[in-house]
Amino acid sequence: MEAVLHAPRRSFVREWVLTVDHKKIGIMYGVTALFFFLIGGLFALLVRTDLLSYRGVFDAQSYNEFFTMHATVMVFLVIIPMLMGAFANYLVPLQVGARDMAFPRMNALSYWLYFVGGIIILLSMLYGMPDSGWTSYPPYSLTSQGPGMDFWVMAIHIVGLSSILGAINIIVTVHRMRAPGMTWNRLPLFVWSTLVTAYMQLFATPALAGAVTTLLLDRHFGTAFYDTSAGGDPMMYQHLFWFYSHPAVYIMIVPAFGIISEVIPVFARKPIFGYHAIAYSSVAIGFLGFFVWAHHMFVAGMQMSAGIPFMISSLVIAVPTSVKIFNWLATMWRGAVEYTVPMMFASLGFIGSFIIGGFSGVIVAAVPLDMHLHDTYFVVAHIHYVLFGGAVMCIMAGIHFWFPKLTGRMYNEKLGYLGFWLYFIGTQVTFFPMHLVGLAGMPRRIASYAPIFQTWNQVATIGSYILGLGTLVILYNLMVSAKYGRKVGHNPWHARTLEWTVSSPPPEHNFEEIPVVTENPYRPYTPEELTASRESA
Amino acid sequence: MTSSSWLPAQLTSMAHNVDLLFYIMLGIITFFFVVVEVLLITFLIRYRRTKRNQVGVNVHGNNVLETVWTLIPALILVFMGAYSVKYVYEAQNPPAKPLVIEVIGHEWFWEFKYPNGLDTHNDLRIPAGQNVLFDIHSADVIHGFYIPEARIQQDALPGRMTQFWVNVDTKDIGKQFQVPCDQFCGTGHPIMVGKLTVMSADDFNSWMQTELQKQQTKS
Repeated sequence: MEAVLHAPRRSFVREWVLTVDHKKIGIMYGVTALFFFLIGGLFALLVRTDLLSYRGVFDAQSYNEFFTMHATVMVFLVIIPMLMGAFANYLVPLQVGARDMAFPRMNALSYWLYFVGGIIILLSMLYGMPDSGWTSYPPYSLTSQGPGMDFWVMAIHIVGLSSILGAINIIVTVHRMRAPGMTWNRLPLFVWSTLVTAYMQLFATPALAGAVTTLLLDRHFGTAFYDTSAGGDPMMYQHLFWFYSHPAVYIMIVPAFGIISEVIPVFARKPIFGYHAIAYSSVAIGFLGFFVWAHHMFVAGMQMSAGIPFMISSLVIAVPTSVKIFNWLATMWRGAVEYTVPMMFASLGFIGSFIIGGFSGVIVAAVPLDMHLHDTYFVVAHIHYVLFGGAVMCIMAGIHFWFPKLTGRMYNEKLGYLGFWLYFIGTQVTFFPMHLVGLAGMPRRIASYAPIFQTWNQVATIGSYILGLGTLVILYNLMVSAKYGRKVGHNPWHARTLEWTVSSPPPEHNFEEIPVVTENPYRPYTPEELTASRESA
Repeated sequence: MTSSSWLPAQLTSMAHNVDLLFYIMLGIITFFFVVVEVLLITFLIRYRRTKRNQVGVNVHGNNVLETVWTLIPALILVFMGAYSVKYVYEAQNPPAKPLVIEVIGHEWFWEFKYPNGLDTHNDLRIPAGQNVLFDIHSADVIHGFYIPEARIQQDALPGRMTQFWVNVDTKDIGKQFQVPCDQFCGTGHPIMVGKLTVMSADDFNSWMQTELQKQQTKS
C-alpha cells in the first residue's frame, strides 16, 4: 500500500523508450492514441466543414482524403490501441494480480510497431494521401494514384502485427498469471472483456492482412485477385475485409463494455448485477461476432436471400448486448449513485447514447430495410452512435476513472463536467440528424449533396464543433491536473479490484507480495469500511 | 426527393411494404428505447447518493430476471427477422416477362440500355404499371445503383450482374426523381446522379422510338 519512496531516477530514454513495464507502455499507448485522436478529430472537422454547404467547401479529392484518413486514424490508431493497448495493458496485470504482462519485451515491441504504423500513416499524407475510404474496396483502390495507398497497406500490416502480438500477450497473461485465488468467477469484468477481445483480434486480424496483401500484389506485382477480366473477383476482398472488420467493431466495443462494468458498481455502491450474465454475454458476442460479417454486403452482389442467415445472426447478437444493458441498469437500481464525471460518461453518456446505435443496428440488420439504408447517412449515424456514443464515451469514463490511479492526482471536477456535457450534447447534435437525412436517401461519402439536405448537415457540423471544443476541454483538464491536480490516496473511489490496493501510481512491479484473492471484486464497501478507508486516505 | 428528413415518396408497392416493416420495427425499438431511457433517468435520480442513502442494497443478481430479459429480446428479434424474410424473396424474384433495362455504371455517369437498343446517359425513364427489371453491372469500379423512392439498391460490379425490379404506381406518371450512386467510386461520386422519369406506357414506347431515331440520325 505504501508508495515506493526510493524509485531510482532514470534518463527519459531508459524510463520510457526502453521500458518494458506494462504500466509505462500502457501510458505511452494512451498518450499516442490521444495524439492521434486529435489528428483524426481534425480530419472529422474538415469533413464536417466541407458539408456546411451543399456545394461542398473543399474539392472532392481533398474531401475523399479527409474521410479516409479520419476513419483510418480513428479505427486503427485511436480506438483499438486505446482500449487494447492503453487500458488493457495498464489494467490487466494489475487486475489479475500479476507483476507484469507474460511477455514484457514483446509488449514493448507491440507498442513500437503501433508507433511506427502510425508514423507511416502520417507520412502517407506527404506522398499522396490514401483516398479510397478506410474500407479501400478494389477495383477503385487499385486505381488510387501515388504511393499513399501503399503506405496505407504497409501501416495496416504493421498495426495488425502489433495487434496480434498484444492479443497473445493478454491471452497468456490472463490464462497463466492470475494471482492465487483469482478464479474465473472472481475475474474482474474488464479482464473478461479484454480476454474475449484478444481472442477476436487473434483470429480476425489475419483476414485483414490477407485482404490488404492481395491489394498490394494486385497494385504492383501483376496478380489478378480483383481483376475481373482475368477471373478475379472484387467481392472476395469485401469478404476478407469484413471478416476482420466486423469483429473489429466488437473489438472496439467489448473492452469498452468492460470499462462500464467496472465504473457503474463502484459509483452505484452496489455489487454488479448478474456478474455471470455480463461475463458470458461478452463471450457470446465474441463468438457470434464472427458470423455476421456479410451484413455489410447485403447489396454488394450476393443473392438477396443469402443475406438471411446473416440478418438472423446480426439480430441475435443484439441479445447479449441488451442483457448487458439491463444488468447495468439493474446495478443502479436501489443503489447509491454518485454523479462523478466517470459515472456521467458511463451512465447518461454511454448507456443513453449507445442504445440509439444498438437500436439503429437492428434496423439496418434487416435485409429489406438495408436495401434502402445501405451506404446512406443512416449507417453513418449508426456507426457513430456505436463508436462515439459507445466506445469514446467509455474511453472517457475510463480515463477519468483511472486518472487518479495513473497520476496520484484528481482531475478538476468542474472542467470534467463541462467536458462531459459538451460531449453528450455534441454527440446528439452531430449524429442524430444523420439518421434523418439517411432515411431520406442521402448517400454517404459525398463531398457535395442535394440542397434539401443542407439544414440538417449544418446542424451536424455545429455539433461536431461542440465535440471538438469538448475534446480540447477534456485534454486540457487531464494535462493540467496530471501536474497540478489535488493529490489523492490509493483508492479514492473505494473500489475493490486489485489495482486500487496498491499506491497511486503503482510501484514498478505492482505488488510487493502477490495478493491472495478470496472474493469477487464487486462487494461494495460497508459504511464502517468507508469510514476506515476515508481515514486512511 | 420529396422529404429532406424522413422516408421519401413511395414509388412502388414494395416501397410501401418496406416502409410498413420499418414502422413496425421502429415502433418496437422506440418502445424499448423509451423504457431504457426512463429507467436510466429514474434510477439516476431516484437512487442518487444522499446523506441517508450511502450504500446500495446487497443484491447480486436474479436468474429469473436474467432469463426474462434474455428470452424476450431474443423472441422479438427473431420475430423481426422471420417477418422480414418474405420481403427478401419478394424483392429477389423478378416477375415473369419484365421489361429489361441494362444499367451500366461508369466513372462517373449511369448508362441505360433499353430493349430497342436505345442508349442514354443519366436519363432513366420507366413506364408506370409495368414490371421493369434492371440488369446492373459496371464498366470500371464498383458503383451503387440506388432508387431511394423504390427503397432498393444493388451495387454495380465489374464482371458480375446484379438485379432488382420495380413496378411503379401509375399515380406517379410525370414525376422525376434522382438516382444517386451509392457506393463510393472516386472524385465524381457525389455528382454521379441519374434522373428517373416515370412515364405512361404509351409515352414511354414513343419516347424510346423517337430517341432511338434521333441517335441513329446523329451517327
